[in-house]
Amino acid sequence: MTSHTDAIDARDVTNLGHVRDLFAHADPVPSDLAERIKFEITVHALHAEVAELMDSALLTTRGAETAVEPTPTESVTFTAASVSLMVSASPSETSDSDDADQRVRVDGWVTTPGAQVEAVTNEGSRTAISDANGRFVLDDLPHGPVHFVVTDPSNDETRPVITPTITI
Amino acid sequence: MTPTPTAPDGLGTLAGKAFAAYVAGERERLSELVDLVTPVLWNAARSQGGSHATCEDAIQTAFLQLVDRAESINEPAAVLGWLVVVVKREVWRLARGSRREFGVEEVPEAPAQQLDPEAQSILSERQRVLWQHISTLTPRCQELLRVIAFADRPDYAAIAESLGMPVGSIGPTRGRCLQKLRTTLGSDPGWAV
Repeated sequence: MTSHTDAIDARDVTNLGHVRDLFAHADPVPSDLAERIKFEITVHALHAEVAELMDSALLTTRGAETAVEPTPTESVTFTAASVSLMVSASPSETSDSDDADQRVRVDGWVTTPGAQVEAVTNEGSRTAISDANGRFVLDDLPHGPVHFVVTDPSNDETRPVITPTITI
Repeated sequence: MTPTPTAPDGLGTLAGKAFAAYVAGERERLSELVDLVTPVLWNAARSQGGSHATCEDAIQTAFLQLVDRAESINEPAAVLGWLVVVVKREVWRLARGSRREFGVEEVPEAPAQQLDPEAQSILSERQRVLWQHISTLTPRCQELLRVIAFADRPDYAAIAESLGMPVGSIGPTRGRCLQKLRTTLGSDPGWAV
C-alpha cells in the first residue's frame, strides 16, 4: 500500500504527465499568448506609441489563422503620429541555399533620417540607423516573428514607436 | 515546453535565473521567463473558472506588475510563486468586478474544474476516463494537480503554497491529492492497461 506521506515516485510523475496532457489538449494556452505578453511588456516598458499596421499585404501578422506561406518580397507599412515605417523582406543573400537555415534581409524606409530602428526577433535584437533619405537595411535576420522599435537619438522628447509583430 | 521532472533545475529555478538576469540588466531574458511560465500561469488562471479573456488579462497584468516592481522583489528565485499568486488574485478580481477587493491573507478557493462540451468532445477515450477520475477529487485537489502538472517536481511545494494550500500538502511527499489520484486510477481496471 502507498501512503500520502511517501515520497513522490515515478508513478506519480507519470500520472501528472497524463493530467498535463489532458489539460494541454482540452484547454490549450492560446498559441500567440506569450508573444502578445512580450509585446505588451515592451510597449509598457518603453512608454511607447504603438504604430498602426496600414497595409499587411502578404506578410502575415501574428495571430492571423492563415496557413498561407507569406511571400517574402511583400512590403508592410506602419504609421504612428510621429513617424511612418515601411519594410520589405527578402531572402538574405549571405545565407546559403539551405532552406531550413534561410535568413532574411529587411530593407526599410522611415520618415525620420538618422532614426534608430531596432528589429526584435526570437534571437534578440538588431539595430540600424536610417540614412539621410530614411533608408536602412537589417540583414541576416531569422525567419519568424519580428517587431520594430523606432527611436530618434537626436530628439529625447519623442516617444519611441513600436510596431505590431509581423512574421517574416 | 515540456517540463522535465528529473532535471536538477525545476521550472521555478529556471524562471528565477531568467528573472534575476533580467533585473541585472539582461533585458532579453524576460522573454525566456514569459515562455517558461506562461503554461503554468494559464492553467493557474483557467483553474479558477475565468473566461479566456479574463485569464489572458490576468496573466498580462501580472507580468506588467512584475516589470514595474522588478527592483523591489526580494527573492528573484521565488518569481514563479509570486506570479501564480498575482494571477490567481487577478482572475478573481476581474471575475467579480473591482468592487470587491480580496484581503491580503484571503485566498479564494477554486471551483471544480470544468471543460466545455467542445473540449470534452476532443478527448481521447483514455483522457475521458482520466477526466472522470479527476472529477471525483475535491476542487482544491483538482486545482492543485492541474497547476503542478505544468511544473517540475522541485516546484510542487512552492506552487501549492502560492495557491493557498497548507505547507506540506505536497512535495517532497506525495500528499493527499496525489495519493487520491493514484488510488482512484489504480482501482480502475479500465485505466491500468
